[in-house]
Amino acid sequence: MSKPTVMVIDDEKIVGDMSKYHLEAAGFEVETFIDPAKALERFKEKHFDVVVTDLKMKNIDGMEVLKVVKQASPRTQVIMITAFAHLNTAIEALRGQVFDFFPKPFKIKDFVASVSRALESVPPAA
Amino acid sequence: MTIKKTLILHGAIIIGLLVLTGVFAVRDVGNLSASSRYMEIQERLNSSFLEMRLSEKNYFLFKDDLAIDDILVMVQAAGETLDSLNQDMVRAIGLQKYQDLRLALGQYRQQVERIATGKSRDEASENILREAGRRLMEVSNRLTEDERTKIGALITKTKQGMLASFLLILILAVFFTPLIYRRILASLNKVSQLAMDISEGRFRKIDGPVSSDELGAVIRAMNTMSEQLRLREDELVQSRKLNSLGILTAGVAHEITNPLNNISMIAQTYEAVYDILPREERIGFMRKVTAECERIQAIVINLLDFAKPKVASFLCGDVNDVVRRTLQLVRNMLDVSNIEVVLDLAEGLPCVRMDEHQICQVFVNIITNAIQAMSPGQTLAIRTKPAPGYEGVVIDFQDTGKGIPPEILSNIFDPFFSTKGVDGTGLGLSVSYGIIKNHLGTITAQSEVNKGTTFEIVLPAAKPMEDDDE
Repeated sequence: MSKPTVMVIDDEKIVGDMSKYHLEAAGFEVETFIDPAKALERFKEKHFDVVVTDLKMKNIDGMEVLKVVKQASPRTQVIMITAFAHLNTAIEALRGQVFDFFPKPFKIKDFVASVSRALESVPPAA
Repeated sequence: MTIKKTLILHGAIIIGLLVLTGVFAVRDVGNLSASSRYMEIQERLNSSFLEMRLSEKNYFLFKDDLAIDDILVMVQAAGETLDSLNQDMVRAIGLQKYQDLRLALGQYRQQVERIATGKSRDEASENILREAGRRLMEVSNRLTEDERTKIGALITKTKQGMLASFLLILILAVFFTPLIYRRILASLNKVSQLAMDISEGRFRKIDGPVSSDELGAVIRAMNTMSEQLRLREDELVQSRKLNSLGILTAGVAHEITNPLNNISMIAQTYEAVYDILPREERIGFMRKVTAECERIQAIVINLLDFAKPKVASFLCGDVNDVVRRTLQLVRNMLDVSNIEVVLDLAEGLPCVRMDEHQICQVFVNIITNAIQAMSPGQTLAIRTKPAPGYEGVVIDFQDTGKGIPPEILSNIFDPFFSTKGVDGTGLGLSVSYGIIKNHLGTITAQSEVNKGTTFEIVLPAAKPMEDDDE
């Protein structure tokens, strides 16, 4: 059985690097991107079970990523992370659309647990 | 002396002179009129005396007693005239001359009566009569002549008095009136120049001694106002800076939270993998932590530097450096709003004498406005170039935002004018305008709705003297 796939998009390289380490240790296959445009290109080529994306990025923001991902693959779960902890209205608007929301800085343990839960909650393919 | 007192005094002197001239004129005309009345009486008396002398001649030629009677009648009539006009004549010629005339007429009458009564008709008596008649005529003629001279003198005196008054009024009008108005106008000119400077944002004072009149009070009040406005402007600059700081805070929080999160993630990972990490990789982890700490420190220093109130210090500097430093400060705002900046900075620009912090603040204000006017993905072009003749530097900020409607474009530099409702103080551009004016530069805006706005700032180049310390 192939490993569950996770895509991490954040323009902070360290977030991608550290997430990759912990998620791989938890048994996921992980690809990281600092450029959301490249990430979405990759998403067209390959299915990912979970997409972790930063909210505010250059060129394309997390909302746009969410829209594209959900359109292309409604079963893919999206987890949002952001340094804008005060964007409560934006977070509320995302409830129901994203699986989880992590304001920076966050506990990696909670983050990995959330990704695992997201995988478990992936609705079965039609 | 106050202007009010000066004007009252000036008016009072002219009115006083006019009244005096009038009083003297009325008095002189009164005297002339009295003299003219007297002259009429005197003419009548003279012709009466002449007739007496004619009758006297008839008596001597023809020994006609009727002639003597005629003389008596005429002497009687003349005496009555003198009695009835006694007061008028005394007033006109004085008591002495009146008595002289009276005496001469009395002596003549006496002599005529003697002859009439036949008491003495000898040659000696007739000689006395002739002598008395001659004296009477002489006194009368002398009085007429005196009065003519007096009238002539009076006319001359009146003319001279009128001329002197006219000249005095003329001198006052021609020399002193302009002096008073020149003094008022000179002060008004100073005040209007100061008002003009204040309206253009140059809060200077009128130096030198200030007069104690009303305009002096106005100048003192305007000096105080100018000083107050300068202080208020400093406060506005600071308040606007704090407002910009508020706008920057969201970006700054994001900017600080990111390295903080990085440190947090490194630390958590480090803890998890510590036992299996070789020494080199542990050092690698710690170096990443140090680098992230330096990122935070740089942000904090920038922020503190921006917020700190500063006394303006004008030094020669490179505008391009200030543009680059400003971009560092707003980089995160631009990134999170997804605004691309296109830089076109000319090389070899002339040095500009400026307070770099204040100019940086102006740039932050304009860039903040541009960001707020644009949608994600739009472009802000920042260009620098030398002004014609290398007499300054032109800095253009061209956004592709929603633009400013033409009907409000002329108000954007007014204090408290804002199109952003509660999100704007309406002070940013007004403070920027003040700062640029203070640098003797200009700031203008051109805009087209839905196409974008371009702010053009021109700062004059430092004069060679200013940056030549040798």
